[in-house]
Formats: sequence, structure tokens, C-alpha cells
Amino acid sequence: MTGTVFDIGYQHYTGPREGRGRSRRAVFTDGIRTALGLGRGGRAKILPWLFIGVLSAIALVMALVAGAANSFAGPGSAEKMNLPSHSDYNGIASIIMFVFAAVVGPELLCPDRRQGVIHLYRVRPFTGTDYIAARWAAFLAVTTLAVWLPQVILFLGLSMGDPAPMEYLRTHWLDIPKFLVAGIAMAAYAATLGLLTASFTTRRAYASVFLVGLFVISVPFTVGVAEETGGKLGEWISMFNLTNIPVHVNDIIFGEVSEVTEDAPARNLPPWVRVAWYFAWTIIPGTVLWARYRRLAP
Amino acid sequence: MGSVYRLTLRQLSGRWRLAIMTALAALPVLITLLTLASDDAPSVSDYESAILGAMLAGSILPLVVLAIGGAAFGNEVEDRTLANLTLAPIPRWQIALPKLLAVITVAGPFIAASAMLSAHIAFLGDGRATLAVTLAALAGVAMYASVFVFLGLRSSYAVGIGLLYIVIWEGFFSGFVSGVRLLSIRYYAIALMHALDPRRFADADSLPAVAAVVAAAIVTGGFFLLSVRRLRRMDVP
Amino acid sequence: MTATPSVADIRPTTCGFDADRASADAVIRVDGVSRWFGSVVAVSDVSFNITPGITGLLGPNGAGKTTLLRMITGLAAASTGTVTVFGEPVRDNPPLYRRMGVMSEHETVYGFMKGREFVRAMGKLRGVADLEGAVDRAIALVDLEDAQHRSMETYSRGMRQRMRLAATLVHDPDVLILDEPLNGADPRQRVHFKQLLLKLKSEGRTIVISSHILEEVEQLADNVLLIVNGKLAASGGFRAIRAALNQRPYHVRVVCAAPRELAAAVVTLPSVDAVHVDPDGAVVILSRNVLDLQVEIPRLAQRAGVSLRRVEPLDDSLESVFGYLVEG
Repeated sequence: MTGTVFDIGYQHYTGPREGRGRSRRAVFTDGIRTALGLGRGGRAKILPWLFIGVLSAIALVMALVAGAANSFAGPGSAEKMNLPSHSDYNGIASIIMFVFAAVVGPELLCPDRRQGVIHLYRVRPFTGTDYIAARWAAFLAVTTLAVWLPQVILFLGLSMGDPAPMEYLRTHWLDIPKFLVAGIAMAAYAATLGLLTASFTTRRAYASVFLVGLFVISVPFTVGVAEETGGKLGEWISMFNLTNIPVHVNDIIFGEVSEVTEDAPARNLPPWVRVAWYFAWTIIPGTVLWARYRRLAP
Repeated sequence: MGSVYRLTLRQLSGRWRLAIMTALAALPVLITLLTLASDDAPSVSDYESAILGAMLAGSILPLVVLAIGGAAFGNEVEDRTLANLTLAPIPRWQIALPKLLAVITVAGPFIAASAMLSAHIAFLGDGRATLAVTLAALAGVAMYASVFVFLGLRSSYAVGIGLLYIVIWEGFFSGFVSGVRLLSIRYYAIALMHALDPRRFADADSLPAVAAVVAAAIVTGGFFLLSVRRLRRMDVP
Repeated sequence: MTATPSVADIRPTTCGFDADRASADAVIRVDGVSRWFGSVVAVSDVSFNITPGITGLLGPNGAGKTTLLRMITGLAAASTGTVTVFGEPVRDNPPLYRRMGVMSEHETVYGFMKGREFVRAMGKLRGVADLEGAVDRAIALVDLEDAQHRSMETYSRGMRQRMRLAATLVHDPDVLILDEPLNGADPRQRVHFKQLLLKLKSEGRTIVISSHILEEVEQLADNVLLIVNGKLAASGGFRAIRAALNQRPYHVRVVCAAPRELAAAVVTLPSVDAVHVDPDGAVVILSRNVLDLQVEIPRLAQRAGVSLRRVEPLDDSLESVFGYLVEG
């Protein structure tokens, strides 16, 4: 039999080919969709939106309580009673944020490595740096949403619960930029650490549990040891309470110690130390994360 | 059953895992030593709530058991090797039970040693208190293991659900809503501890002894039965 | 040219074996089995019997072969219908697995185990008597004695498949269900595997293989089950299936010295649908009655004084049957 090749109409793609920017955007968008479970069926949406729901519910409850206090005991009484407000919210919600980062973060990195898909990305003109930068940006966007949304709800709730909402808005509008910056600081911290642990293992489960363990266990450990040692050493040991690191930044922005950190010896350290510590714990993990992905060969 | 047990032991114990568990188990002991070394030792209830309650029972115990227990079936489902076990001519409980026992065997000694040493040091060698803490810790391991082994079999989001439960349900809400404790493994374990040594851990707030034991049995046995049922009815990947 | 029959036009044809006898001897009985996932129907009202010997399960990707195999092995539940092996329901019936060996399409193994350990563990789980002897025999059957003490992580893909096959055979099962067993096998391994299967068949076992590699199945399988879009499109010997596809004429290609003269003579035959001359100068004949052609072509050629060089059927293969049934 003779050998023949049949023309079955296979055609090369002849349309426009977009550049690296397009690939970066694609990985970024895919990261957001994966994290929030968009386009992946009902089940994938439950966990991330449940977290966002819980975070928002807490804010809502805080707003309602403040509103109730205002209507029963007169305007402005919520503040006088020192009920939880924007600056406290970040501290209270921090542990939930970190669990969210620990559970959702690995979804962005681990499956690609486990199933070998990462190598497909690298076949295109798309570097490891592009990949991790796009993934990090996507996760940052999601965690920022998770932090900002409840704060916005809280703000709206507080202003509407106040008998004179416009007055409230006028006097408290500065809260908005404050909680936005404090929020993104918290989000960046959680996102970076969440992705860093995910970059060390291919099983999502281990990454999640390890990160949560790191946070949850460091808290009583450092609190206990710091209390015992006391003094300067105790303050520094208290700085290793990982859940508080972004909350200190939050305190500095709002200018007042929040509920969660009011007992922490670390609050006595000068502001620049606490801010520098925050940046160390965000930039160094970020650099390690970048380094791990930079060398990825196709 | 022995082969499933031994296979699971090998699957669950890696060098890194054992090293991390040792480090974690050492933490409460370290703190206990430090607290004792300092001048103002905390009261029993302070120690109990901070170290035993928050640290050991609240974080180290459930997280370690989540990592190990969730992996017992979870890894097999993810790797699609579960069929190797289900295609054997043995009743399903002879697959679920050795898995559960292997999880307890791997996680148990670390937690028990941690509890035993911490209590021994903290309570200055009081045998009964040490025994109470250790047994309660082991009961906690059994309960969490049963739940997380089932979760690992049932859902690919087992770890997310487990973390939600540990951090938010047991950790967060129980701080605000005390009724949550009635549905919380951590408090069953703590109640058992109280029941085993009432002189030291007297607390009107916790469940009476019988209720705690019954709760522990129901949780451990119930989730085990759920695992068996799931094995029979699931589509094995 | 006649229009291509679509799959919907083809009703299941069971041909090539005696239905009554088959029913009595049937080892595996599938009756009215359907499986759906939400609103997606993976397998739709499939019924057949499988007797001892080698049965090939064929179909395009996504046709429902793996789902069907998983239902036969009890790994997945059927939404409706029953599957029985040796007369017993296969689902939730662990003792039945003593007589069944199953090799799934997933290639993952316990990486930390050595080859022999894996086969031994599987044998132990299946309650094999004389474990060491059985393991030795199984590993010898797949020709991996040299590698058995190495960790399976170091194996090539083909070696892993063979070791998995050994684990499937270690307990000497009467029924073997193999899903894509030749994935990653090189030609030498394929030959060895074929010989192995024929040997197992001669021992009276019932073997079901699912495969995309049509040539292998063609050479090995006594019966073929063709699944398309979740439905059973055809069952039986593939030649008999081909014969049953009466709507499609056969293509026969004749190379000869004077093609146009031969073509002119052949086109007068009533059993011939159409004749054309292909670019190489060979005569291609479409006919529904090959038997008649067999007699007539030489006669016509002789009368016309044309010497024949070559006469070959163009579609006497499983691939073409496959093609006909899957098109559309």
C-alpha cells in the first residue's frame, strides 16, 4: 500500500499572537478564578466564600452591636464604650484570614506542580518570575477583597446605624484610607506566607496544616514564654507571635492599640521596629518564594 | 488487616513528618519547664486553659491529627491507589479500622508523650493528674482521628473543612458562644480530663464524666461507622 | 456514494455467537445498565454477556468504556441495571474479588515500595496461599525477576505496568479486567503481553480488555464490544459485525495491467455499486457482495486478458469497522 497523508483540514493558528503581558494576565485571572472557585462548580466555591461570609458576618455583627449601643445609649456611645471598631476588626479577624490564606493559597500553586502543568506554562515565553508574580498578584487581590469587604460593610453599618449618618461620615471619613492600608498590609502578609508554604510541597493538605499550625501554635507559645521572661527579651519574643505582626502595623496606622494586641509586650517596641519587622516578614518570604519559582526550567 | 495497617504506617510516617511532630510535641514541655522555672507560677486553671487547653488540645493535637488522619485515606483517593485496597476480598471495616489504628499509632505517642511530660513536670509528679491528662489526650487523638479519617475519605476539601472546624468552630466561636462546646471534641477531651482527676481539675462548667465518655465513644465509633459505610457506597477512583 | 450511516441508525447487532449458549456460559452479565452523573449520561442502557475467552472493549475516548469497566468491577455503582459476575452481584460483594483481578488505567503505585513488596502486599490482601510461591510465579510471568527488588519509583512506565499486572495475577483470578493495559508498553512488551494473555485464556479464564490499540484487540479478542456515546453499538466478532453493516459496501482494490479495461468489465456486475480508478492507477471497487467479487474478478480479468497483480480488501480491519460506527 502506498503511504499517503490526508489533508483533514488541520490549520495553523494564523491570528494575532499576543505577548507576555497577555500570558501574565491570563495566569492572573486564572489565579483569581481558582481561588474563588469561579467557573469550577458549586463545591469549589463553598470554602472560599464561606470564609468571606464569616468575615463579613463578624463585621456585620460588630456594626449592629454598635448601632444598638448608639440607639440605646445615645449617639457616640459606641465609641465611648470602646466597642470593637475598624482597628479592632483586623486583629479579631486575623486568624480567620490566615486560615483562609492557608487553605486557598495552596490551590493556586500545588496542583500545577503536582500534575506537571507548570512545565506547560514554561514552554511558552513565560518565565518562572512571570508565573509567580501573576499568582501572587491574583492571591493578593483575593485576600485584599476578603479584608476590605468586611471593613466596608462595617463602615456602612456604623454610619447607617448612627443617628446622624452624614455627620458620622464627615468625622470618620479618615477611617477609610486607614483601614484600606491596614487591610492590604494584612492581606499581603497572609498571601505571601500562604503561597510560600505552598511552594514547598505538592500536597495542598500539608501546606495548609503547616501554615495554620505555625500561626496557631506560635500564639500561645510566644505569649507564654514572653510572659515568663518579661523585659526587653519578652518584648522581642512576643514579636514572634505571627498572628500579631500585621496587627501591629494596623495599630500604628490607627494610632491606638487594638484589643488583640493590648496585652502583647511587643507593643512597647518603637513603631519603626514593628513596621520594619512586618516588612521583613513579608519581603523575605516573598523573595524566597520568588527564588523557588525563578529557577523553574521548562 | 495487618497488611493494611503496616502499609498505612509506612505511608504516614516520613522523616520530615516525624521530625515536625517531635518538635511540636516538645513545645508544651518546653513552656511548662519555663513556667515552672519562673517565680510566679500560674494557677492550675491558668495553666490548664493556656497550655493544656489552648496549646495542646486546641492547636497541636487537632492539627497533627488532621495532617495525619486526613492523609490516611485522602492521599489514597488523591493518588488513586484506594482501589488496591477495596478490590480485596475483605469486609470494608477491615480496611477502615487498620487505617484508623495506624493514624492513632503514628500521632498518639507524640501527643501522649507531650501531655505526659508536661503534666508530670507541671503537677510535680502527681501520678493521677498526669494519667488524667495523658488519657484525655489519647481520647482526643482517637476522636479527631476518627473524624478526620472519615473526612479524608469523604471529601477532597477535608483539610479546609477540618481547619474551619478547629480554628473557627472550636477556636473562635466557642470563645463567644459557650453552647458550641457541647458539640466540640476539644471539650469532650477536656471534660474527660476533669472527670479523671476531679480533685485537681474541679470545674462545674464541664460535662459530667458519664456524658464525656459517652460522647467520646459516640464520636469515635460513629465516624468510624460512617467511614465503613462510605467505603461500601462510594465510587472508588 | 452511499450516505454514511450515523451511529443513531445502527441498532446494536449481536453476531458471531450463539446467544443461548452464551447466556448459559456467561461469566459476566450486564443487564440494562445505565450510569449518569448529574445530567450527563455516561452509559446508556447497555446489556451483554461475557463468556470465557478474551473480550475486547472498544470505543472512542469519552464513550463510557472506563465507566462501564468500573461498573463491571464494582468500583462504581450503576444508576440502574444489574451487573453480576459468576451469578452474584458485583457491587458491595468483597468475597467475589477473590476470583477477580482488576488493573485500572491509573498508573500510580506506592512509590516507596519495591516491586516484589507491592505484589506481595496485594497477594496478602487477597488471601493467597503459598504467598512467596505465588509472587515468584506472578513476577516470572511478567518477566521482571531482575527488577523486583528495586523501588518502583525507579521503574520505567512499562515496567510499572508489568508489575501492576503481576499484582493483578498473583491470586490466580478466574476473571481479569484490564483497562488500557498496554499504555506505555514497547513493541517487545506488547508481544510478550499477547502471549501471556493467550496463555491465560487457554487456562479457561475470562478476560476483558479495554484498549485503543485496535490491532492488538483485533488479534487477541474473540469478541468485541463497541461502545459509542455510552451505548453499545455492536458486539460479536468484528468480521461478523462488518458483515452486518450491510449499508456499507466493501472497498476492494485491484492492481492490474490495464485498469480501465478491468473497470469497464467489473462495472457490469450487479453486485458492484461503483468503480473508480485511484490516482495510482488501481481499480477501487465498491461492492456489497465480496464472495461474488472473489469469483467474478478473476473470471472477468481472464476474459478481458488483463493480468491481475494484486487484489486487496481496503476495510477488512477493526479500524474500519470502528471508523464506520464512530463516524457521524
